[in-house]
Amino acid sequence: MSDDVILRVSDLSTRFFTTDGQVNAVESLSLEIKAGEVFGIVGESGSGKSVTARSLIRLIESPGRITEGSIEYRDADLADDLREDHPGAVDGEFVDLLAIPEQTHRGLRGTAFSMIFQDPESSFNPSLTVGEQIAEAVEVQRRASSNPRSTRARTRSSAYSLRSYAAAAVLPGRGYVSAESKDRAIELLQQVGIPDPEQRVDEYPHEYSGGMLQRAMVAQALAGEPDVLVADEPTTALDVTIQAQVLNLLREIQAETGMTILLITHNLGVIARMCDRVGVMYAGEIVERGSLGDVFDRPTHPYTQGLLGSIPDLDAAGGRLQPIGGNVPSLLDAEMGDRCYFADRCPKAMEECLHKPPDYPAAGTDDHEAKCYLADHPYDKSQALPEEYFEEGEGT
Amino acid sequence: MRLTRFLLRRTAQGILVVWGVITLVFLLRFITPGSTIDFVAPLDASPELRQRLAEDLGLNKPIYVQYADYIVNLLQLDMGNSLLKGRPASDVIFARLPATLELAIAATIVAILFSIPLGVISATRRHQPVDYGATGFSLIGISTPNFWLGIMLILIVGVNLGWLPTSRRIIGFGPALELLVFEQRPVGLRVWFEHILLPSITLGTYFTALITRLTRNGMLEELGEAYVEVTRAKGLPETLVKYKHVLRNTMIPIITVLGLQMGTLIGGAVITESVFNWPGLGTLIIDAINSRDWPLIQGSLIVIGVGFVVINIVVDALYMYFNPQVTFE
Amino acid sequence: MNWQRVWRSLRAEFGRSPMAKLGVVLILAVFLMAIFAPFLATTNPKAQDLSRANEPPVGFTDITEDTRLVDGERQTVTVTTRGTLEYPLGTNQLGQDMYSRLLYGARTSLLVGLLGTTIAALAGVSVGMVAGYYGGRVDDGLMRFADVMLAFPALVLAIALIGLLGPRAVDIPDPFVAAGLVSDMPETTVLPVTVTFVVALVNWVWFARVARGEALSVREKNYVKASRSLGASDWRLMLKHVLPNSLTPILVLATVQVAVIILLESALSFLGFSGTTLSWGFDISQGRDLLATSWWISTMPGLAIVVTVIGINLVGDWLRDALDPDIEGESGGGMG
Ligand SMILES: Nc1ncnc2c1ncn2[C@@H]1O[C@H](COP(=O)(O)OP(=O)(O)OP(=O)(O)O)[C@@H](O)[C@H]1O
Ligand code: SF4
Ligand SMILES: [Mg+2]
Repeated sequence: MSDDVILRVSDLSTRFFTTDGQVNAVESLSLEIKAGEVFGIVGESGSGKSVTARSLIRLIESPGRITEGSIEYRDADLADDLREDHPGAVDGEFVDLLAIPEQTHRGLRGTAFSMIFQDPESSFNPSLTVGEQIAEAVEVQRRASSNPRSTRARTRSSAYSLRSYAAAAVLPGRGYVSAESKDRAIELLQQVGIPDPEQRVDEYPHEYSGGMLQRAMVAQALAGEPDVLVADEPTTALDVTIQAQVLNLLREIQAETGMTILLITHNLGVIARMCDRVGVMYAGEIVERGSLGDVFDRPTHPYTQGLLGSIPDLDAAGGRLQPIGGNVPSLLDAEMGDRCYFADRCPKAMEECLHKPPDYPAAGTDDHEAKCYLADHPYDKSQALPEEYFEEGEGT
Repeated sequence: MRLTRFLLRRTAQGILVVWGVITLVFLLRFITPGSTIDFVAPLDASPELRQRLAEDLGLNKPIYVQYADYIVNLLQLDMGNSLLKGRPASDVIFARLPATLELAIAATIVAILFSIPLGVISATRRHQPVDYGATGFSLIGISTPNFWLGIMLILIVGVNLGWLPTSRRIIGFGPALELLVFEQRPVGLRVWFEHILLPSITLGTYFTALITRLTRNGMLEELGEAYVEVTRAKGLPETLVKYKHVLRNTMIPIITVLGLQMGTLIGGAVITESVFNWPGLGTLIIDAINSRDWPLIQGSLIVIGVGFVVINIVVDALYMYFNPQVTFE
Repeated sequence: MNWQRVWRSLRAEFGRSPMAKLGVVLILAVFLMAIFAPFLATTNPKAQDLSRANEPPVGFTDITEDTRLVDGERQTVTVTTRGTLEYPLGTNQLGQDMYSRLLYGARTSLLVGLLGTTIAALAGVSVGMVAGYYGGRVDDGLMRFADVMLAFPALVLAIALIGLLGPRAVDIPDPFVAAGLVSDMPETTVLPVTVTFVVALVNWVWFARVARGEALSVREKNYVKASRSLGASDWRLMLKHVLPNSLTPILVLATVQVAVIILLESALSFLGFSGTTLSWGFDISQGRDLLATSWWISTMPGLAIVVTVIGINLVGDWLRDALDPDIEGESGGGMG
């Protein structure tokens, strides 16, 4: 495993401007992912994991918007290509994915990074065959690499006019997907362990079982041979034995290709089995991050402690997140206030926690950090809030 | 294969429905007040003549015999002689059929040509002036009675501006095409086009409006589906996301509604014909009803019923083509 | 069925949607026109004044050429007619006041629309509920019959039925005139009975389909199965569980059907298959031959139809957006 950072997210904020008010789904989130590692993000439902994943691929749609921050991706060739036209987006070997045009970004999707989604059943178009949809992903990559690594060419190959589409509808053999891509789709299906791939390639999503669809989705995500794979709860919708199979599959593929995986889940067991490093997400923030050993064996943040404390034996409990006392926090801007977002549920909340949100320690040099005052100085009982505070705050 | 099986099944069903139609049409005569013979016989006919006529037409036989005769004759495409024209009703009907078909097809083409692009543009430019324009147009379009629209078109385009003829057909599409091909004279086609333009706009507007609305709303709904995000995430060009994936799936609800609205198309054709004096089945059926020309009434109702069943089979086949999940079991 | 929730989502959607408000305003206006027609009308809509025939609406001037005998000689004279406030929307070829006819036409349209929809809904919902609830052969039989009905385009079937049965109408006394509140107005409002029944007959199938679908799904619910096994009677179950569950989609469908039936009625009147002469469709047909000279005769009643149907469609959209039922056969029908 190399220690090079491949993805550097700084101060990312994604907001939804709904009729109920502004929702801060992701708030000043920072993290670094190293090439070839499996980085896990764990957090309760609604903590902003999926929004983070979609922000990384720039798939946030109205009423949502990425309001701040940068997502830097390391690719020396790409950086060289873009340096002239978009000097602001390039920093050394890094390219800020939020600062490049949509067309250029689309050229990177599927090839530089791709994504596995939460729910396999709704992630395939019901009226096209699974093979066709995987072959599309292959084709995207094929067209991009036939113009090797030049951004302009990538941009061009990712454009496809309505006229070409209309022609394809009328003229045989002029469709977007080529025969080679179709063959590659069969190989991919085989690779992810789908039996009878030659036959299955022409079947529709409703003819697949949930587990097979998830495998097919892995195949589709791998089609473009991406450098970074974002897997958003790849196993949540599956039953336990199939979960294990899909996770093994991901591990094998990662071992083979050395690709980087960002694995999102609310299952601590999955994190423990798969990840090298972990970020714990709460209310749109990464509240604790570090190596798997640091975070799981020596949790600093009371939230992480709560998560882990409630599961004596990760594997035995199936690793599901146990509810911690108190309400899931509101992400409505108006209700968030200027304090530690966990304070309402934190058993160790102190006076200072109510006045200013904590940040990572200023002098945080080592890899293990937590957004909590306790990371700076040890818990001091005399600082604790009066009993009444906890009676009110907890257990609702 | 799936399609063949489906078509066979559906044709069998269709034949049953057609049989129902035929029976219902037969019964129609018996709910009508007044004896049929009153309409057939001249006013001053002697009782003997009336008797003879009734025998000739088989009106004295028991109902079930009349019904059997009627079915047997129909199977031989014999619908009886039109009382009005003195010719076989089937001849009269089939002579009028092309005019109606031309009108319906022209209207459908008008509708599809304008509505789907308009709906797509409207959905992709949501909350922009084009979208408001298209939405307003489709609301007005589905709320306007087409006979009145036809009259307004006649008033403005025909009477006030004098641009286009406002009634009759003059030449059919077939003859016009022959004129062009064999004699190199495009004038026939021009005359045909000038005459069919206003009627087909009249008949097509409601459908244009309806399909625009369905396309827009369907696309907006479909764009919110999870798979759309997935196709974008894999880097597929936006054209393909919008057309190959989203629009294609939008066709499914559009076709469903269109199938249910085909009756409206035929009903609309009847009234459009009457506005423009278009010599089709619609004007024929109204004349036939007004003069109690039974063979003609029955014949045209049956032809319309059969046409409707056929259209619906086509629509279902299309539906099936766009929606692989349907098995019709 | 949670009526409070229905009410709340209706109110929320109403507040959000300017179009819903427009629809309600339009419909209210048409209703008021129809109900208070005798007070709003300026002239008896049936009264003829041939000396004032074909006058244009107020603000318009009509110039025609006429051939007259002057001193035993034929001469062409130019006649200029100015519209007056006495006949704000002009007059037709019989010198009848178009404005007053418009008001009374609203009565016919709404009467047929509402009554026709009610009959269609009652018939369709009963048939559909029975078919869906019992399933099996009853269902098959009723649905095949529905297929045959659907194989006739509504307008064609309606024309055939009315043409053959002959249009019949009954006179309903006008309460305002009977109470002596207004004079000089028609003493009765004509309800075209045949037309009303025929439009119901050709439209009940839509209701049957919706009710059947709902009944099919409710039948499988556990609480229904349980009450059935406890010996609750079929009718009770249908009235208590199936019907309330079908009400939202039926309400949305009914709204749209009012528009469909109003359009159908106007088409039938236009073709001359009506039971009354006080109808928008009839007036449109009257103006048809006079387009070159008196455009207003056809134009005004047509606009009235469009406005009414837009209003109903907007209300239909509002209900659909707020209640979100999943039905087919919606989208209210520009040509009947
Ligand atoms: N399209 C949207 N519009 C408004 N708010 C949204 C939208 N998408 C997400 N959110 C808000 O963002 C927050 C985070 O949602 P997200 O889907 O990222 O949660 P998650 O951590 O992935 O949860 P889960 O484990 O349930 O998938 C939620 O509070 C949600 O209400
Ligand atoms: S900052 Fe305070 S309230 Fe927040 S987690 Fe740490 S101790 Fe608890
Ligand atoms: Mg999620």
